[in-house]
Amino acid sequence: MFMTKRSQALAVRGLTKRFGRVTAVDDLTFDVSSGQVTGFLGPNGAGKTTTLRMLLGLVRPTAGQALIDGRRYAELVSPRRVVGAVLEATGFHPGRKGREYLRIQASVAGLPASRVEDVLGQVDLVDAAARRIGGYSLGMRQRLGLAAALLGDPATLILDEPANGLDPEGMAWLRALLRGLADQGRTILVSSHVLSEVAQVADQVIIIDRGRLRFAGPLAQLGSRLVAVRTGQLALLHDALARRGLEVTVTGESTLEVRGASAEDVGRVAVDERIALSALTESGASLEAAFLNLTRTGGSA
Amino acid sequence: MSTLIGNEFTKLRTIRSSWLLLVIQQAVIVAGVSGLAAAGADLDTADGMRTLLSHAGVASAILTLVLGITAVAGEYRHRSISDTYLGTPRRGRVLAAKLIAYLGVGALLGAVSAATGLVTTAAWLSTADTALDLSDPPVWRIVAGIVGLNVLYAAIGVSLGALVRNLTGAVAIALVWIALVETTMANLLGDLARWLPNRAGMGLDSMPADAAMLPQWGAALVLAAYAALFAVVAAATTVRRDVT
Repeated sequence: MFMTKRSQALAVRGLTKRFGRVTAVDDLTFDVSSGQVTGFLGPNGAGKTTTLRMLLGLVRPTAGQALIDGRRYAELVSPRRVVGAVLEATGFHPGRKGREYLRIQASVAGLPASRVEDVLGQVDLVDAAARRIGGYSLGMRQRLGLAAALLGDPATLILDEPANGLDPEGMAWLRALLRGLADQGRTILVSSHVLSEVAQVADQVIIIDRGRLRFAGPLAQLGSRLVAVRTGQLALLHDALARRGLEVTVTGESTLEVRGASAEDVGRVAVDERIALSALTESGASLEAAFLNLTRTGGSA
Repeated sequence: MSTLIGNEFTKLRTIRSSWLLLVIQQAVIVAGVSGLAAAGADLDTADGMRTLLSHAGVASAILTLVLGITAVAGEYRHRSISDTYLGTPRRGRVLAAKLIAYLGVGALLGAVSAATGLVTTAAWLSTADTALDLSDPPVWRIVAGIVGLNVLYAAIGVSLGALVRNLTGAVAIALVWIALVETTMANLLGDLARWLPNRAGMGLDSMPADAAMLPQWGAALVLAAYAALFAVVAAATTVRRDVT
C-alpha cells in the first residue's frame, strides 16, 4: 500500500487551449500540492474539464504545459500507478459486468487481479460486481469509475464533477474517502461547479472563469468562515479557542461564533478539551458570496 | 503489446452483442445462399455450386466490417475511449493492438462463415442429388477468399471507426458506400470500377472469375493496400485528435 510521504504534485504552466475561435483555457498557471484536497471550481463552461483533460493527455494544449510529477501524462511509464482519474464524460459498455470491466483495466495497467477485489471493497461495490453495468445507478457508476481510478494505488487522483449523480449520503461517503486519501499524503484534485460541494473537504481551492484563473489559495482565504457553536460549557470552550489564537465572539447564553477555523477544527478543540457540544455549524454563505463575486466580475465585459 | 491485443479479445468476449453478431452472420449466410438456390441457381453444375459458396463471403464480410467499426467508434459511443487512452496514453499502440486483434477476429469469423457456407451449399446440392466435391481446388480458393475478405474488412472497419469515431456515422458511410456509391461509380467508371474497395472485395471470393472483377490474387493485393492505407491515415489522425 501507499505509505511514504511524497511531494509530487500537478503543475500547470501558461496552459492555453483554443477550439477554433473559442478560447476554452486562457494562459492558466497553478500548482496542486500533495497531502491536500484541492477544489477546482468554476461555473459550467469555465474550462475545468478541458484543463483536466489536458493534464491527462486527452486534449492537446495550444500552448503551455500540464505536468504530473514533472512529466506529461504520455511520458508516464505506468500512468495508472501514478494518476487515477474519473472523468465526467466517461462511460462503460452497458453489457459488461463491473468486475470484468475492472479486470480489463487492471490488465492494461499491468496490475494483479487481486487489486480488483481490493478496490471493489474500497468503493463498496462487491455485491454488484457480477452484474452488468447497464443496470447500475448513476451513483454506482461513479463508484465504479472511482474503483478504476484507485486500481493502481496512485499518488494523484483527479476527479471531474464527482458529485454528479451522488445522493447526499454518497457525497458524505466520497468526502470521507477523499479526506482519508489526502491524509495518506496523496494529491487530490476535485472539480465542481458548486462551491458548497467541495467546501467541506477542500483545503485549497483554484477558481477559474472563462478559462482564466480567478483565485488560487487556501479555502480559508477565500472568505472568512464562520462557525457557530452551542455548548453548556461556554466559558471553557471560549478560553480553549482563544488560547489557540482564534477569533471568538460570544453570541448568547450558550452560543458563540468562531472565525478563521473550520467546524472540524472547533470540533477537535472540543474533543481535546473534553467539552460537550450540542450544536456545531459552519456557515458557507460568505464563501459562496466570494465565489460568485469572483466568477461574475467579468460578466459585464 | 500482447496484453493489449489480449484485452481486445476480452472486451469482445465479455459483451453479448459480439456473440449475437456471430449468430446473425451465420443466419444471413444460410438465408442468402438458400435465396440464391431457391431463385434457380444451377445446382448440378460446378459454376452453380461456386456461386452459392461465394455468397458466404460477401454476406459475412459486411457484418465483420460493422464489428470492426465498433472497435474504436463503439468506444466513443459508450464513452469508454477516455479510459482506454488513460490506461495506454500511446494511442498508436491502442490502434495497432485493435488492428491486430481484429485481423484475428476477422479470420475467426471468416472461418466460421466459410464452414456455414460449405454446409449450406452442400445441403442445397443434395436436394439436386449432387455432392459437394471437396477435391475441387476452386472450392478451397473460395474458402480462402471468404477468410481473406473477412480479415481485411475487419481491419478496414477498425480504421474507418477510428477515422469517423461516430458509430452510427461510420456504419452509415460504410453501407452507403457499398450499396450506393460504388454501384453508381461502377456504372460511370466501367472497367476501372474493379479497383474500388468493395469491387476488389467481391473479386477476392468470386469463382469462377468474373470478367468484370480483378483476379483473386490481384483483388487480395488491392484490398490489402486499401486496408493499409486506411490504417495509416487512421493512425495519423488518432494520435493527434482531442478526446473531449
